[in-house]
Amino acid sequence: MLAGVLTLAPPAAQAGGTLIWGMPAETDILDPHATGGWNTYQITYQIFEGLVKEDLTKANAPTPPLVPALATSWEISSDGLIYTFKLRPGVKFHDGTAFDAAAVKFNFDRFWDENSPNFYKKAKAFVIAYTKWIKAVDVIDPMTVRITLNAPNYQWLRQGLQSYGQPLMISPASVKKYGNDGVALHPIGTGPFRFVQRDQGVKTVLERNKDYWGTPAKLDRVIFRPLQDPATRVNALENGEVQMITAPPWDEIDRLSGAGFKLSMNSNVPYINFIHLNMHFKPMQDLRVRQAINMAIDRAGIASDIYHKTGRAEYGMLSPGTDAYDPAFTSYAYDPAAARKLLAEAGYPNGFKMVFELPQYGTGEIVETWVQRDLKKIGIDVELRKFEFVTYMGKWAAGMPADVGMNEIGWGMSTPAWVGIVTRCDSAPPGGENSGWYCNKAVDALLNQAIVTRDPAQAKELYQKANRVIMNDAAYVPTIDDLQPVLLSPQVKGFVNPPEDWFDLSVVSLD
Amino acid sequence: MKGFIAHRLLSVLPIIFGVSLVIFVLMHLAPGDVATVLLGPQASESAKVELRHTLGLDQPLPVQYGRWLWRTSSGDLGTSIATQLPVAALVFPRFLNTLLLTVASLFLAIAIGYSAGLFAALRARSIFDRLSMTVTLLLGSTPPFWLGLMLVLLFAIRLRWLPVSGMQDMAGDGGALDVLRHLVLPAITTALGPAAIITRMVRASVADALERPHVRVARAKGLRRSTLLRRHVILNALPPVMTITGLQLGYLLGGTLLTEVVFAWPGLGSLLYDSITARDMPVVQASTLLIALTFVLVNILVDCVNVFLDPRLREG
Repeated sequence: MLAGVLTLAPPAAQAGGTLIWGMPAETDILDPHATGGWNTYQITYQIFEGLVKEDLTKANAPTPPLVPALATSWEISSDGLIYTFKLRPGVKFHDGTAFDAAAVKFNFDRFWDENSPNFYKKAKAFVIAYTKWIKAVDVIDPMTVRITLNAPNYQWLRQGLQSYGQPLMISPASVKKYGNDGVALHPIGTGPFRFVQRDQGVKTVLERNKDYWGTPAKLDRVIFRPLQDPATRVNALENGEVQMITAPPWDEIDRLSGAGFKLSMNSNVPYINFIHLNMHFKPMQDLRVRQAINMAIDRAGIASDIYHKTGRAEYGMLSPGTDAYDPAFTSYAYDPAAARKLLAEAGYPNGFKMVFELPQYGTGEIVETWVQRDLKKIGIDVELRKFEFVTYMGKWAAGMPADVGMNEIGWGMSTPAWVGIVTRCDSAPPGGENSGWYCNKAVDALLNQAIVTRDPAQAKELYQKANRVIMNDAAYVPTIDDLQPVLLSPQVKGFVNPPEDWFDLSVVSLD
Repeated sequence: MKGFIAHRLLSVLPIIFGVSLVIFVLMHLAPGDVATVLLGPQASESAKVELRHTLGLDQPLPVQYGRWLWRTSSGDLGTSIATQLPVAALVFPRFLNTLLLTVASLFLAIAIGYSAGLFAALRARSIFDRLSMTVTLLLGSTPPFWLGLMLVLLFAIRLRWLPVSGMQDMAGDGGALDVLRHLVLPAITTALGPAAIITRMVRASVADALERPHVRVARAKGLRRSTLLRRHVILNALPPVMTITGLQLGYLLGGTLLTEVVFAWPGLGSLLYDSITARDMPVVQASTLLIALTFVLVNILVDCVNVFLDPRLREG
């Protein structure tokens, strides 16, 4: 099946000034194989490209379409095991070396082949969700590469474009020159922007790649600037020191958009905020208790009063930025009276006490306090236990002990297969992220079936079915879709807030 | 005097050793695993074990500490786990930025504190005295991050006289004058708290000296006011003021950490915060050591100046 097509020759470049972006945190190292997190991908996405990419130039797509990047086309065998990529001719890395099948092989060796001299352990740990499916990588000719999978997985291509270690193409010459660790400081790819300079904690500077194979970027330069304090980000935007800020404080959004700054949001974000309910915590083993908790939380209130409409109530476990998402899906509407009744039926007429673990994050604990207040209304006495972020991530990944009632996370991907990462029986810790120990074999079976289903419509139905089973079990409390508000100066043109956490800055220009 | 300085310098070693040991133990007691931070939640357990082995984190704590101590004492601060940069290349430029902010704030605090304190003492119980004491009380109790935001609101957003954040203009290289412009607001923010304390100390110390018998006698003998102040009042009032000023440097180093966040000043504070979050031990150790070393050395310097000023201390 031919899934990709050749693109037309690029038009001429046009100058577009320097965009300065105030970010909420400093990013990690700029080696796409050896780091994770959307914050870093916001930079590396501009420098590096994969064989395939998601088209992030369309704001209102339900999920970003997969389009050719360094491969002009790809073919998937009828059994779903063999992917044959035709590579784009004439592409050069930023260091002037040529991109070809040998370069592709070199990159796969680095993050996948443990027997290769170019293998990099850290890369494999990050790109594992993609590489664990790979059986063989073969160079057919200088412009053709064949990848064989262990088992069919029709989300495999999209899986590789998520924010946990991406199989993007790094210049082999640069890896040989600077070593595997050195890529972090010398990121050389084929993307529309090339790396200029990084002053750790101060700024990262990219400039337009004049020799880009596709439509060249409009901006001359982009400067990424970490500004941890939300008030500082707002002040810098107001004062004209930056032209774009992400994660603006909710309380300031109305005022700033009233003052002429452009507010960009995306209703198809690829992640959800949700609560894991702990199946090892005694009261949580009763379905009625889990249903009661789901009914007790006023999600619409959180969206309007806390998020100031930059969030939306969520009732299911599929991320909005996936083709399997059904906006009409609801599970448990807000009904504290019914919740109290269910709790009494389960044998807790006076409620119970429970610990809710949460991370220290930029937004404070305002949502969690709201949840605590709502649960108090049905008699559940919640103790909020807050941890510094890294400590929390360790606790979350280790799974909840039996004396903790619930914990939370905001996560997701633009592939519906993500839901399995947090819900499958075999995703239980250690090694998995099913922090609340939920296990329903029916869900696993549906997800297993979905991943080998080639027809997108049929696959979508299976993912939706799995979502219904999960929510019938009331195993989680999905709470809010954060609609990813971005504030821009009036002179910023062409910015697109796509169904991902990272943006294509090559289409942005400045007046 | 030489013996005194040598004795004080020798005392630095156990202090620095103690600080490094406490930080090392505290960082290891803190929950959170560097392998999980570096490899992400989807990494396999075997990958994490391998990484811990590569970084030497599977060794017993005394061995890890001993290795670090040996490396550091031979001048090698190691490589940052999170950024892959040499620790020295990461820490020293940031330290200089923090030092620039600290020194600027200290000069400002001294200028405000010494002049306002002296003036208030000389006009004790006047309107100026009462007003300056009230203002310093208010400033001394104001959290720097709030004060910083208010100053930004007024001078950067409303009046547009000064930049909001950073150490220099992001789009270009503005040179020393640009750095100076960026320095004004953070320096004022950090300086006002210590300035308030120094003002009160100077006022109390000078007022006390003014009441001493030898000053009264000198005044009765008709000594000129300026000579009286210079020779008999200020010189006697200085030692306690100097000590407090020296201690303020510690406060300033701590205070700049908060100011650095508000003004996105690229100093040691934000680096330390990021490194603790990433469990980047080599950077945390090097940063805290530098701060401790600066604090101890400045206090020794203050002690030496005091000994120079006050002959009684030399004999003691």
